[in-house]
Amino acid sequence: MKRLLAVAVILFTVFAATGCGALGGLGGPSVKVGLVTDVGGLNDKSFNALANTGRLDAQSQLGATTSVIESKKQEDYVPNLTTFAQQNYDLVIGVGFLMTNSVWKVAKQFPNVKFAIIDGAPANDKGDTENLPNVANLFFKEAEPGYLVGVIAGLMAKNKVGKATHNTVCSMGGIPIPPVDHYIAGYQDAVKTVNPSATILNGYSNDFVDQAKGKEVGLNHISKNCDILFQVAGGSGLGYMAAAKEKGVYAIGVDADQKDAFPGTVITSALKRVNKAVFDTVKAVKDGKYKSGDNFFSALNDGIGYGTLDPVIPADIKSAVEQALSDIKSGKITPKDTVQVKG
Amino acid sequence: MRQPTAQWAQGPAVPVISVLVALVIGAIFVLISGHNPIQAYAALILGAFGSPYDMSETLVIAVPLTLAGLSVAVAFRTGLFNIGAQGQLLVGALAAGWTGSQFADWPGFVLLPLTLISGVVAGGLYGAIAGWLKAVRGVNEVITTIMQNYIVVFVMHWLLQDGPMSAPNALGTPASSPIGAGAVLPIIVPDSIVHLSRLHAGLLLAILAVVVFWFLLWRTSLGYELRAVGLGARAAAQAGIDPRKRMVLVMFIAGGFAGLAGMIQVSGLFHRVFDGFSAGFGFDAIAVALLGKNSPIGITLAGILFAAFARGGTLMQANASISSHLVEVVEAAVLFVIAAETIVRAIASRRGTPAEALA
Repeated sequence: MKRLLAVAVILFTVFAATGCGALGGLGGPSVKVGLVTDVGGLNDKSFNALANTGRLDAQSQLGATTSVIESKKQEDYVPNLTTFAQQNYDLVIGVGFLMTNSVWKVAKQFPNVKFAIIDGAPANDKGDTENLPNVANLFFKEAEPGYLVGVIAGLMAKNKVGKATHNTVCSMGGIPIPPVDHYIAGYQDAVKTVNPSATILNGYSNDFVDQAKGKEVGLNHISKNCDILFQVAGGSGLGYMAAAKEKGVYAIGVDADQKDAFPGTVITSALKRVNKAVFDTVKAVKDGKYKSGDNFFSALNDGIGYGTLDPVIPADIKSAVEQALSDIKSGKITPKDTVQVKG
Repeated sequence: MRQPTAQWAQGPAVPVISVLVALVIGAIFVLISGHNPIQAYAALILGAFGSPYDMSETLVIAVPLTLAGLSVAVAFRTGLFNIGAQGQLLVGALAAGWTGSQFADWPGFVLLPLTLISGVVAGGLYGAIAGWLKAVRGVNEVITTIMQNYIVVFVMHWLLQDGPMSAPNALGTPASSPIGAGAVLPIIVPDSIVHLSRLHAGLLLAILAVVVFWFLLWRTSLGYELRAVGLGARAAAQAGIDPRKRMVLVMFIAGGFAGLAGMIQVSGLFHRVFDGFSAGFGFDAIAVALLGKNSPIGITLAGILFAAFARGGTLMQANASISSHLVEVVEAAVLFVIAAETIVRAIASRRGTPAEALA
């Protein structure tokens, strides 16, 4: 009797695990989507968390069957991606440029499974990009949100709003890789455009995790009169913003809306809507419009934007940033994506 | 003075009870999070053993865990607490990665043994430093091995990012250049049986290491001396065994097991070293050694169990939407219950002779 019960339980679980979700489809075939986070995990309040939001939106709004695996080690990427591919998922999404090589490896083994990688393109063992017919590379035009927050920073400094009294705006990247530098380039481009007399400083913490390193750069910048600090350095950037809070100056967040990290210090954030990229890619698979190779997310398809504006930002600057957003959409402004002030 | 009841606690009863209690504690957390514990554990088991591929992946994880477990256990047997298996593993991996890529075009029958020896010896020497400091200066090995873990992480970061081992790669993180084909441990499961299996010959090396561990400790006079030091250093000294020499030696052996684990991860799985390599195995190994009661069979079973937790936890998250962090709760609870073994013993001694009650 007990053995029978055990078999029943296991059978039930198998059904629960594989079959049930398929009933959720709202017209059209249900899509099975697997998301693999990088080592940042689901609670990173940024990149991975946003990707997971996109997955959950796809589940509720598109009737997709979705699952997520959190990678605990760098070396888990390949087995985690393989796990979904082996279970015949329609779409397997790897979050972040750390997975470019792992996605390349696994996608080659499963030509009938569609893959997507956020912020990167599949790369072979030598490190060269090698596009595959079953991998969509989801890129963002980071220069655009960088430009938007740059408009705010530049005008705040020009008009000496609140604590921004020194006409000096600064930024810090984690490591000078393209997605980071694009943000900073757009930011500097905007500051130079709206406030040519401003002093611009930039630095790198050479880390995406260590808060202490970010704080060090932040304190150094503040000692050089910086009163608006834009971070593009993940966890390390939290330290940069903590320095701003400690010294009573302003900070600008990145990727997600980081207003809650340091309320009153974070005046806005440069948004990269990873959730939108995930959702749109699931929708594309569902509608048969999946496109392998480079896919760009920008102001045009609402893939980027700016976060909640702190009340300290006056109405004229708010309308200026709104104008900048529509100018980017219309093509009137094309933010530069090469960094002008490195140090 | 000795309680007769302690006898049953020497056997498998305590570890088995610990795991069961830990599973119950885990089940409570599953219930609190609004899921069904039976469904969770069914998914966990299916994830670890549900298909040939899952089984092969579980074994892939069990190999370094068991080896690092042997590293902790051999030190335990000599009365030393080796927290440094993680650091020794990384040193072994670095040495193997360096040897394997430096002489990449050498033939396998030379390069593979050379890579293996370099990993084992490097890990061993790194471990021996802690043993030497303890023997000569009386520095607590817990402190030194913990510090050594940090040292190797940062040295590794330097070596791979700006130092002599850095090489272009596609991992998005600092990494070495790949090892030569001759240094690679072959996959031992044919693709026709388990598609894409990653199970490599490191499994055979791990089994061999378990046998060596047993033979060394229970079939050689050196092993007898090591265990004598572990049971009572002063008594051993009276009997003419110099505990200080044994400390250096046993930490070399401990580091050698961990170094072998690192070498196998390089030669069997990743074929290069990278920043963040094999994080955490050395720490799980402490739990593996404790749960396995420092015995060869116990460590092997505990290694497989913890590997099953790791592999099964991933699939549990994918297939039953229960956070894979649950397995960390269960693992922590296992340690907690084992640490409370003295309490279990105390209760047992009050109840008279549970050895009979359990039989």
